Parts: sequence; structure tokens; C-alpha cells
Amino acid sequence: MDKTLQVIVMCIVTHLGLMFFLFPSDVMETVDVGHWLPILVGYLLHFAFVALYTKGLAYYDRHDLIDIFLTGGRTIAVLLLLPLAVYFIMVNIITVRAYSEIITIVFLSNTPLWAIMALLLTIPTYIAMTGIESIFRTGMLLAILFLPIVLFVICVSFHNTDWHYLFPLLERDSFNFITERPFLKSLFIFTGSFLFLGFVRPTVTYNRRRILIASWILLPLVLLSVYIPLLTFGQDTASMLQFPFILAVDTIDITWLMFDRITGFFLLGMVTFVMLFVGLVMWATNRLIHRCMPRVRPEWITLMLGMVIFAASLFVRDWGSVHRLFWWNSIFRIYAFSVIPLATYLFGVMKARKLQVSP
Amino acid sequence: MPLLHELKLRFASDDDIFFQPDHILHIPVVFIGLTSLLDLIQTKERLTKDAFAKQGLAADDAGLLRQLGESIDTGDLRSAVTSLLSGKMIVFHKPSETFIAVEAASKPLTRSVEEPSDESVIHGPRSAFNEDIDTNLGMVKRQLNSDKLAVKSYAVGANSRTRINLLYLENQVEPALLTAIIGRFESNKELDVCNLQQLSRMLGLPSWAAISPYIRTELPQDTVHYLMRGKAVLLLDRFPCALVLPNDLWSMLAVQNDLNYPRLFTLSFRLLRLAGVLCHILAPGLYVAVVSVNPEILRIEMALTVAQSRLGVPYPALVETLILLFVLEMVMEASVRLPKSIGPTITMVGGIILGQAVVSAKLVSNLLIIILAAATIANFTISGFVNSISIRLFKYVILLLAAFYGILGLLSGMVLVCAYVSSVTTFGIPYAQLARKSRG
Amino acid sequence: MIKVMRRLCRILLLLAAVPLLHGCWDNKDINHRSLPLVMGIAKQQDKYRIYLQIPSSDPQNPQMKVVAESGRTVTEAVDRISMNMESQVDLLHLKVILVEKHFAQEGMADIIEGFIRARDISPKAKLVICNESLERFFENMKTAIAGNQTILCDFFDKNAGWNPSIAQTHIWETFRSIHSYTRDVIAPIIQTGKDTIIENVGSAIIKNGKMVDRINPNETLLYYAFKGASTQGKIEVLDHASVLIVNNTVSHHGKIVNSKPLLRSTIRLKVSVLETRGDPTMASIRQELEEIEAKRFAKLFKKMQLKEADILGVGQYFRTDLSRSELSHWRSVYLPKAELQLTIKAIIQNNGNLKTTGM
Repeated sequence: MDKTLQVIVMCIVTHLGLMFFLFPSDVMETVDVGHWLPILVGYLLHFAFVALYTKGLAYYDRHDLIDIFLTGGRTIAVLLLLPLAVYFIMVNIITVRAYSEIITIVFLSNTPLWAIMALLLTIPTYIAMTGIESIFRTGMLLAILFLPIVLFVICVSFHNTDWHYLFPLLERDSFNFITERPFLKSLFIFTGSFLFLGFVRPTVTYNRRRILIASWILLPLVLLSVYIPLLTFGQDTASMLQFPFILAVDTIDITWLMFDRITGFFLLGMVTFVMLFVGLVMWATNRLIHRCMPRVRPEWITLMLGMVIFAASLFVRDWGSVHRLFWWNSIFRIYAFSVIPLATYLFGVMKARKLQVSP
Repeated sequence: MPLLHELKLRFASDDDIFFQPDHILHIPVVFIGLTSLLDLIQTKERLTKDAFAKQGLAADDAGLLRQLGESIDTGDLRSAVTSLLSGKMIVFHKPSETFIAVEAASKPLTRSVEEPSDESVIHGPRSAFNEDIDTNLGMVKRQLNSDKLAVKSYAVGANSRTRINLLYLENQVEPALLTAIIGRFESNKELDVCNLQQLSRMLGLPSWAAISPYIRTELPQDTVHYLMRGKAVLLLDRFPCALVLPNDLWSMLAVQNDLNYPRLFTLSFRLLRLAGVLCHILAPGLYVAVVSVNPEILRIEMALTVAQSRLGVPYPALVETLILLFVLEMVMEASVRLPKSIGPTITMVGGIILGQAVVSAKLVSNLLIIILAAATIANFTISGFVNSISIRLFKYVILLLAAFYGILGLLSGMVLVCAYVSSVTTFGIPYAQLARKSRG
Repeated sequence: MIKVMRRLCRILLLLAAVPLLHGCWDNKDINHRSLPLVMGIAKQQDKYRIYLQIPSSDPQNPQMKVVAESGRTVTEAVDRISMNMESQVDLLHLKVILVEKHFAQEGMADIIEGFIRARDISPKAKLVICNESLERFFENMKTAIAGNQTILCDFFDKNAGWNPSIAQTHIWETFRSIHSYTRDVIAPIIQTGKDTIIENVGSAIIKNGKMVDRINPNETLLYYAFKGASTQGKIEVLDHASVLIVNNTVSHHGKIVNSKPLLRSTIRLKVSVLETRGDPTMASIRQELEEIEAKRFAKLFKKMQLKEADILGVGQYFRTDLSRSELSHWRSVYLPKAELQLTIKAIIQNNGNLKTTGM
């Protein structure tokens, strides 16, 4: 059944969940002026790799990533997919840990971390257990419920902006960021949530071109996530903040609303999207592990996975270690971001060649 | 006469049966039937008329009698018993040892077609299903004039036979759904179906689901609409509702009668119901979250008012809310049980006396009363009583999470509910299928 | 079998939630929290003295409560107050931060940063400077106020008692000004009055979190006119008439001439005549208005240049012309030699119910 719309919504929603927290401050660390440049570069990279990835997948009908790589032999498949599995698990640990920390910083200062992490893991574990089609439907429902709130907050967040902070648009030596650490860190929002496309093929079909077109919706959103705090505070102030977007939303004063701090709703709306993201990644990880251990029921794998992630998150001591872990994960991230799509594409091309030769 | 004897033995403990020697025209016969189910005098009259009309067609007496109904083999006790239980009369002709089951005038055990009692309709078709399966089927056929309407009839149950009709539109219905239902009916024929839990067991549907797998409706109009959307409809004898399979989320928001209004109103009615759903499941949780975990969300003026209203309330917001919710649920349950004439009393006791007293005794804050009253009203905007029950249950999950995590709990409760709702499927068709698929 | 497994999984998940029943960590009912509206901060030698104005939630006894405590940090003092009160002090709803003048002149960058860091104080809280000692201020307030608990908030609320002669600055704006190269803020100065409870006596120029000078209410109005904020509803008194400002628009154009910033600004005021003295013509009223405003403005600009405090945010208009490194010297190098060509155009929109000759 064609589920293009659901896939698009899922992509947008999971990206939304990731982009408003750590990303703005990473971009502001990357450059002082011309923030659009690293954003655009990051986005174009993302677009190119998504295009490659989906193209590669399109060569195979109803095969998921594992099937595709298995056509090249068991060793190659293991070699290619093992780092991916590690990456997925690490993403889960980092996301759960980082978001619980954000919630304690911003919202529930007295609640112990483990309690929040337990919540942030229980619900995704349940979501992951219900299976991919159900995840998509959950995504749709959440989008219908929470996207209006999120869009409303984004719209009103222009309340305190000063357009003069847009300038200067560019300075001469502003291309040096590509190899810098914050830039590589900032790429994370693009990497996490398109890889799942490779795992949904057996049950869900989608229109590749429509997805690529729809992914342009992300660009303005990503730009807003950086530019709204920038236009509200200016680079000098905004770069000092841990979560610039949150504070920018915090400054909005709407007198006719019944609620005072709408950041709460915005932030937590995002957290629900993150739960969905974690659920999705857990499901993908589950698929990978299940292939290695076909005897064990997928429900149990997911449950064990949840527990492992919970335990691992408990071991991360402080915010600094989160950042360090985040940085270490960059290697895997770049691998997952570039090598996997490339390999998929190559496998696809090879299959197409074989087909051309054999008949 | 083995069959007559066997019948007598079979019904030895049932004084309802009569064996009455009589004549049709000049032929001596014995009428056998159940007094409670048939009207003997009318039946006799009809039989005589019928026999008179057919007098010339048959050569002998037995032949004439055979013209009047279906003959039963002398050894076939089972079909004789079934005929009797379903309200037919058996005519026994002693000389030729013939048993004939004839249609009898039945005693009026069914109410006539009435207005719906559980789903009121404003300015729409008003006839509602009643207990008689044939009447119900007729009403559906009246409403839907189509040669594509297929009816499959089943009689299930080992101890008590229940008639079940399966209705669907040949060109609309999902083939997988149809084969699944028919397969279940064929393989579980021996299970008794006296209530819907048993029906669910027969159909192999999960028995612990918080969302009912059927849509229940007592309106032929709605039934036809669901048929046209490719769903299957079950009619049970002695059950004044049509059961529509599978249920979907949309049925919570949409009533067929909406379409009898201009589009704008249709849309606004449905939006209103959506708001009702959200209000009902979120309002109590929001109160607890805002009052006890995240008061910074409120404007200061509101916060002060809320604090004022809670002054002197002895227990935490969660307990307060739970107590009042419990009372409310009891009022609702009680008013369902009560006869219509005493119903208003409970409204008064529950609403005025209890509500007023509980506030002035400072047991709960008056703001909470307002919120819960609004939430309860919101619950009844949802279409279908069964749907409103499941929503009632979800509220508690969200309430508990909100008490622990505040607004975060509220929203993650929503995620949980959404995930649950999305994971429910009936015969492989998801409950939360939003896109309506039209076939043919 | 799968169903049993699933059910087991669910039960396990439910069991995992049981330990949660132990704690409601952030759970404290609103009637057990004190929600102070105003925080007064003074400095005595090395210690902060903190005053909290807490509205009472008891309708029988609507007395305003003011509690005070000293501490080496703001949080220490608040903590002490909380310790001695019957309910927990929650700063979440703080609306006004009242700073004693002496302390403001010493510099309050530290506490502002603290407020932004801790997040329980809303960044939307307003910064106000008190012209008299806080002790006396709160004493006077207490005797004057009977029922209205939110009087100080209402005084600055746009929907209640605010008018454009009163400066209005939020904590986040002050924070931004501390770190911005091109922007300073003004904060209102108040004291208790004889007839009205609160009296506005002008505004303080705050540079890098330090009060360096003050301006009078008329100049504050000009400040808002220059910013393009609405000064609607304000009555201007001239020698021969008094007029009501109905609408105001501004346009700015900045450019660098001979490494000297030159700003051309036009302020258009639409007014309606309320009262006249003698028999002035409309033209003369208009001219008088234009002259008086221009003169005031020149004075304000001088003051600003002298103190090197860019309260008008003039630097913002040169962001396209100067590089970031040049902008960082804006206050010390460019602002003092900046030139402002201001044209004020007054339009008399109507003259009320009476006909006046000589338009």
C-alpha cells in the first residue's frame, strides 16, 4: 500500500523533534556570521545522500537494507551493518540521555533523571513493539495533534525578532567550518531519521520523488531553528545560550493566551516527536538484531534493547559526558550518513548491471 | 409412530407444547406446536383457507397436506424440533404417517419499529432496529436498494441456536475481511453466542482490547453507510443493534446524520466532537499537571484564582480529582440503571446537592467541579456509547502520568494513547486508518 | 502464544512503572506554593538584600505580604525566605525585578546572568529601578494597597496602566544588551508617590548592566517613537496647545561617510489637537511640535554619545556596513562620532469637534 504521506510526515516530525534543541547552538559555535551557509551545506549533503539512498533502494523491490547487503555475502553484510547497529544504539542512548537532561534543566528540576529516562524509554519501547505500520499511524496522529501547536509557536516566535541581526550575511573566510567539530556535531539532525527508509520496504511502499520534494520542507524549518534565536538575541548573546531556541520562545509575551509559558507546550510537543524518533530507531535496531537471532521473539529483543539503553544512559554521568559521547558518535554518524547510502546505491547499480547482462 | 412418540418424550418437561387433534376440511390431523410462540386459532383459519384453495390439486389427503408446508421425514427428530422452536406448527396426518411443518401465525413477541432510544437523531430518518432479525434485515434492505447487497445467514450455537446475518456489499467489501469472518463462522459454529463477548470469542477477536472491535448502531441509515464504505455488518437475532466490523477512529467523530446538513455544519460538528474527545481526555490531567506540577504554565491571575479555590482542600490534586471522578462515574452508571421516571432525581442529588455540598465543605475545589463537569459533558459529544467508554478509560492513564510528570506526562500520555490506538487492528484492518479507501 | 507473550510484555512494562509510585518529585500543590510577584534587590556592603512581595491567596485577608532576607547570593536569600515560610517559594511567576538605584549604578550583570541561567525566573520579568530605598518603598506600598495584589505588575502591563512614557525592559533584553555590541537598554525608575501609589520619574540608561545616566519621561517617549514602537495615546503639551499622538511611523537609513556613521531618520507623528491656548494656527502648532521634539531628541542623542551607551540601537543600522570586528568597537569608536540627521514631520490629522482656521 502506498504510504508516501505517512513516510513524509514521519520524516518531518522526527526531524522537528531533533532540530530545536542542540542544533542551533552547534551552528552558532560553528560560525559567527552567515549561519545559513553551514545549514545549507548540511542540508544539501543530507538531500544528496537521501537521494542516493532511495535510488539504491529503488533498484530492489520489497527488500530491506539487510536483504540488499546480504546479496553481497554474509561477511560484507555484517561488516556494513555492524557499525550501523552500534550507531543506532548509541543514538538511542544519547537521545534519551540528552533529552532527559534538557527536561530537567528546563522543566522538571526536582524529578530525578532516571525517572524521566524511564518515561522516555518506556513509551518508545512500547511504540517499537507495535510494529512499523503502527509507528507510522502513531506518527500521523501525533502530527495531527501536535503540529498545529508547534507551528503556532514557531509563528509567534517572530514576536521579538529584529531583522537587523540578519546582517552581515557573509564574511570572507567563512568557509573554514567544514572540518570543524561543532559543524560535524550539527550534522546529527540530518542523519538520524532517514535511514529507517531502508527498513520499511517489505511492508510499506512510497513514492521516491514525492519524498525528495517534500524533504525541502525541512530546509525553512532548519533555518528558522537557528535564525529565530539569532534574530531575537543577536549572535553574541545567542551563542552563550545552551538552548537558544527555547529561550527565544520564552521571551514571547502573548497577553490573550490563557497560558503563560508556551515554551512548555512547544518543548514537550517536541519531546513527543523525539519519543517517536527513539521508537523508530529502536524498531530499526530490532530488525537488525532480529536477523542475527531469528529464534528470539522481536518483542523480547525490543524489551531487552530498552533495558540495555536504560542501563547505559544511567552510566552517563553529566552533561559534559553527553557531549563527549555525542562527539565520539560522530565517526559512526558520518559512516551511517555517507557510507550506507553510497553502499546501497552501489549495490543497486550492480544489480541493475547484472540484470542488463543476464537477459 | 416413532417420531410423534419421540417428540412427546423430547418435550416431556415442557408443558408449553400441545398435541391437538383437529380437522383440516375433512381430513383428521393432529396439530403440534408451542403455545407461547404461535397463535393457534389464526393459524387454523389460515390453513383451512389454504387447503380449500388447493383442494383440487392433490390426489389424496396426504398429497393435499404436503401442499401446505414442508414435509419432515419420520426419522428426522432434529429438524422437527428446530421447526417447533422457531415457531412453526407441525401437522401430523396419522393414516399416511406424514409430518408437515407449516408456517404459523406468530404471537406478537416483538415490539414494532420505534424511534431509536440510545442514539437520538435530529431531523433524520428515525426508525431504529428492534429485536427481530428479519425486521432489521428488511429495514436495511429498504434503506439500501442494491442488488450488490449480499446476505449470508448462519445459525450458531450448540445449546441455543442464534441466528446471525452477515451483510456486505459485494463490490465494496474488503475480500480479506470477508473470508476471515466467514472462516471464523464456519469453524466455530458450535460456540454459543448470547452476548457480544461470546461473539468476539467466536470471531477470534481480542477480548481485552480497550477499543471495541465493532461499531454498534441502531440506525439503518448508519448501517447502510458503513456497508457502502466496505464494512461488514452482523445482525444478531434478539439484538436491537447492527454490529459493524471493523471499527475505526472516524466513527467516533462522524455521525451519518451530519451529512444531512450543509458542509460547513458537518465540518464544524465533527471538529466539535474532536474538541470534545481532547477535552475529555486532557482536562482532568491538565488540571492536575497545572495545579501540582507546573504552575508556571498558568497566567498569574489564573494561578492566584486557582490557589484561592484550592485553599483548605485537604488532599493533593490527584486524589481530589480521582475522588470526584469516581463519584461522577457512579452517577453516570446509576443513571443508566435507573428507570426514566427516577432519572431526574439522580441528576438533582448528584448535581445540585452533592456538587454544592462538596464545594462548601471544602473537600474539592470548585474549579475542579467546573473542569470535570465540562469533561463529562464533552464525553457525550462523542458519537457512539461504546466509543465514549473507551475514551473514558484513556483519561485515567493520562491523569496518572500527568500527576507524576506534569505537562510532560500529559503529552506522553497522549503519545501512549495514540500508539495504542494505532496498534489496534481488526482482521488486519487498522483502527486508526485515516485515509478512506474506496473500491470499485 | 504470541498473544500471551505480548500480554506478558505489557504486564512487565506496567510492573516497571510501579517504582514510579514512590515519588511525585515536582508535585506540590499550588496552594502550598508562594508565588511572589515582585522581587526587590538591594545591596548592603557585600550582601544582597532580597524583598519578595507575595500576594495572599486568602480572600478573607487580602493583605500584601513582603518578606525580606539577606544573603551572599540571591538564591541564598530566597532559600532562607523559603525556609522560614509555611509554603515553598516559587519564583516562576515573578513579574517585576525591582533594583535599588545604588545597586543598579554599581552594576547588576551578575544577577541578570543568574536569572537567565537558573530559568525558574521568567526571562519576561521586567527590570525596574527604584529611586528610594526598598525598605521605604515596600513600607509605603504596604500601607497604600489594600485589595489589589498585582498593582506593580499592572503598572507596567501593556493592557493596564502602561503608557509610552514609561520604559519597559525585560530581563532578557537586559541580558542581550550586556553581550551585544550595538545595543543598550533603558529601564524605568519609580518611587512611591503622594497621591498615586507609584510614580514614574524617568528612565535609567543601562549600559552593560550598569546604570550610567537617566532620562526624563519625555525623552522616554521619544525613545519609543524612534524605535517605531507605538506611542499612540500619548498627550504632548506644547506652549500653545496640547495634542494627542494618534500614530507614529519611522524610517531609518544608515551609511558610513568618511568612516563616520551617518543616520538619516524620519519620524512621522500624526496628532490630533485637544486643547489650545490663545489662538494658534494649525501650522504654528505643527511647527512648534516639530521643533520641540527635534530639540529634545538632539539632547537625548548627545547624552547617549557622551555616555557611549547606544540605547536607541543606532548600531543596528550599520550591521551591513561594518564587519563584526569593527562592530565590536561600535560604542567606543563609532558612536561618539556618529551623526544623526533627524527630520520630524508632524501631521495634524484632525482638530476635534471644533473648526480651526489656518491649516
